[in-house]
Amino acid sequence: MTFTDWLPTLMIFLPLVGSLLLLVVPKTFRDEVAGFFAALTLGVGLAIWRGGGSELFRWDWIPPLGITYSVQLSGVSLALALVTAFMSFIAILYAARRIPNPGPMLSLILAMETGLIGIFAAQDLLLFYVFFEDALIPALLMLAMYGKAGRMKALVKFAAYTLFGSLLMLVSIIGVRYLGGSPTFAMTDLKANLVDGPAQAWLYLGFLAAMAVKLPLWPLHAWLPDFHEQNHDSGVPDVMGTLYKVGGYGLFTFGIPLFPEASLELRPILMGLAAFTALYAAWIAFRQTDWKRLLAYAGLSHMGFVALGVFSLNETAVIGAMYLLAFQNLYTGALFLSVGMVQDRIGSLETRVGGLMTQAGALSGLTMALWFASIAVPGLAGFVGEFSILLGAYQVSPWLTFIAGITTIAAAAYALTAFQTTFWQARPRGGVAVRDLVHTEWLVLGLPLAVLILFGVYSAPALNLMQPAVRTVLAALGGN
Amino acid sequence: MLTPPDVAFLPLLPILIVLAGAISSTLLGFWVSRRTLTFINLGATVLSALSLGWLWNRGLTAFGGSLIADNAALLLAFVVLVGTLMTLLVSLDTAWRARVSFPEFDAMLMYAVTGCLLIAFSGDLIVMLIGLEIMSLSGYVLATLQGSRRAEEAGLKYFLLGAAGSAVLIYGLAFVYGATGSLNYAAIAERVGSVQGLQPQNAGILVGGALLLLCGFAFKVALAPFHQWTPDVYGGAPTSVSLFLSTVVKVAAFAGMLRVFAGALADAPGWHSVMQILIAATLIVGNLAALRQTNFKRLLAYSAVAHTGFLAMALLGTPQMGGAALSYYLLVYTLMTAAALAVVAALQRSEAGFQISDMRGLYYRHPGYAVCLAICLASLAGLPPFAGFFGKYLVFQAAFQNGYVWLSVLAALTSVAALVYYLRPAMLLFMPDRTPAREYAHGQRPATTLAVALGVAGVTVLGLLPNLWYGWGASPFIWTLLAGR
Repeated sequence: MTFTDWLPTLMIFLPLVGSLLLLVVPKTFRDEVAGFFAALTLGVGLAIWRGGGSELFRWDWIPPLGITYSVQLSGVSLALALVTAFMSFIAILYAARRIPNPGPMLSLILAMETGLIGIFAAQDLLLFYVFFEDALIPALLMLAMYGKAGRMKALVKFAAYTLFGSLLMLVSIIGVRYLGGSPTFAMTDLKANLVDGPAQAWLYLGFLAAMAVKLPLWPLHAWLPDFHEQNHDSGVPDVMGTLYKVGGYGLFTFGIPLFPEASLELRPILMGLAAFTALYAAWIAFRQTDWKRLLAYAGLSHMGFVALGVFSLNETAVIGAMYLLAFQNLYTGALFLSVGMVQDRIGSLETRVGGLMTQAGALSGLTMALWFASIAVPGLAGFVGEFSILLGAYQVSPWLTFIAGITTIAAAAYALTAFQTTFWQARPRGGVAVRDLVHTEWLVLGLPLAVLILFGVYSAPALNLMQPAVRTVLAALGGN
Repeated sequence: MLTPPDVAFLPLLPILIVLAGAISSTLLGFWVSRRTLTFINLGATVLSALSLGWLWNRGLTAFGGSLIADNAALLLAFVVLVGTLMTLLVSLDTAWRARVSFPEFDAMLMYAVTGCLLIAFSGDLIVMLIGLEIMSLSGYVLATLQGSRRAEEAGLKYFLLGAAGSAVLIYGLAFVYGATGSLNYAAIAERVGSVQGLQPQNAGILVGGALLLLCGFAFKVALAPFHQWTPDVYGGAPTSVSLFLSTVVKVAAFAGMLRVFAGALADAPGWHSVMQILIAATLIVGNLAALRQTNFKRLLAYSAVAHTGFLAMALLGTPQMGGAALSYYLLVYTLMTAAALAVVAALQRSEAGFQISDMRGLYYRHPGYAVCLAICLASLAGLPPFAGFFGKYLVFQAAFQNGYVWLSVLAALTSVAALVYYLRPAMLLFMPDRTPAREYAHGQRPATTLAVALGVAGVTVLGLLPNLWYGWGASPFIWTLLAGR
């Protein structure tokens, strides 16, 4: 048992320690402590990356039930954990200045970070479920404590959808182990004892229910816009919300290896749903006049892409999907924060404000660059992901890929229209003076953008990290 | 030739200690204050729990197998005592406010616990029935003790329906005796298990008996459609009594069901399918009705009904899996329900509990209680890392692995409704609020706080390390011997 074996565990629980510590730290040091723990977590993540990912760490948690504490951070899971740690740090950086009395918020961000990194690290199906639900509690509390007037409805909707899926998943999880005859819930054991026949398809559907809600996939997406709209104006809870899109990851890490035949069987239907989700969301985004709802639907559209990539079971497309999943969190998260900054200055989330560019050049410029990343302009990380997905999915189903491909045009349309009506055009008479970026706000928007440009131009490190993991997972399909 | 009765006091020890507490409450009540009595009873409860540890793994019996102190009995008795302890702690602070602060309250409580323990230790149907009647009769008195219109109504309802339930139960008991010629669990199980022992014409009587027993028990544990008294009784009785009735009494009734259905009648035909339907109805009715409640205490009452459905699912598993699941779930259920009701007892203005809308912003007024209540609600809803999750998981697993897949799926679906009604109050607690507080101003008292802390700590620790309890209770040997074989 060497120290490096403990690194993933350390990365998972460091934020939780920080979160609990925040409850007792005096108010003056709260921001610093939160920032320190977030930075430290990111540091641990980078250390794992430097060491080339971690080995599988396994400890028997509840032996009579066959539940293990198995964690591993390597490949795709490491990439997503790093993004989570990075964006949590950014969120803390912003929340500390923006939100009045930020103590509970900082604490919740850190608590949620633990849940999220745990989700990505878990290599035991039941442990995954535990973290999956754990990440939910801080998200709900953020909405309850900092949300707007209509939050109760949004909250109930969000929780009902999520838990509807995850409870069906729980039954599936029990079934996967029992019907397969595996001794434990650890992935290594489950993979060695696959369920076959029609039972596999049924179990896959149960599993899919949870993932489709989280992804979200049409028609299980209705919670998403309300969730974002009712959250605090600063956009900080939304950042954590975008990090919560574990559906694509779950389908990739658990769905394909555990249900290979069922995923092949259902491939056409699921790809169709994914393509439809992408296009439908982009269409609706076009009609939004609230920045947060617009971003919510834009995110939904991206997730349609991710789903298309994962469901296509093609190597290029799956790598693209994971790449997009990782970096979508960066730009959508940063965009939510930029929306929060705009709201802070003009007191509105309306997309037809007009003329911000004249007074707040840096804010507008950085936002525009982030939008470019979002609509997959080459040179930014979003492009690598979307292009790979389309490239790979085309080999499986050209027509569905074509439909999804239209989305990129639609995306440009809704993004640029909204951007134009807010940041360009004429400033209305009597509008408040708009302050440009100050202090840490530069970092809050600048750092994610820098990362996006870096990985948009030089994608090799991220791709090298993900490719072996994707190959291993797809090997479960037996050469399809 | 007359054989001398097999009287052994050692296996009776936990029951006798509690009974001593009850008797001393009855007698000493003339001279000492009720608080002193409560402290004596707390001591008796703890002593009784310690004696359980002492009896562990000895497998003693008394009265020729009519009373068995096997490990299953000890585990269930422990759960009963945990609930009792929490009730007593809460009553220390709130009995005076609830106008039930007289020695009879303590005496009745401890008599009821004696009955509960008898059920857990029962080795034949008669001992079970005696325990059940002691428990029920004391329960009727407890529910009525307050002397308010609401409490009287609750008590009367409880009495009338409970008496009907008992009557059905006794009738079923007679049928089972008629079919098998014995009242002893082991003997019944033996006759039911072997074809020769049971003549074909007796099979019908046996099925009838099993179903009547099921009905009787369904009254006691509140399985739908026999649950109608629950919300009125739990909602109308003083909160500390509701706490007792919805935890300890229910645990004991389930202990009886476990003995009878997973032990004596495990191989009997017929009752499985009826039980399935009752559980399905309970899950649907309990969860959907809870959705519409505006009073928090009534909500918890319906949630108790819903949890009955989950608990009963464990009875459909194999005895090995189901018994272990049931014992774990009962403990967790006791801890979380009791802690939630303790918070209500501490903060309510009147014995009607409070409205859900009154809970808004509680976090900003009583942060400790609000966080504890939220943890209890999360656990009741089955969210990890709290122990309610593993409880739910275990019963799902028990039912699933015994082939009741559809029931597991139905349970999962109805849990969604459960999440909604637990979530709403839990989230209201944390919403900022500017209206004046609607809690009882002097609500924070040490003993109640201790009970809440006990519940919350238990729920958290058992959620993170379920093996602390499950490691004891999971051994299949404990549960295959349910019928004393």
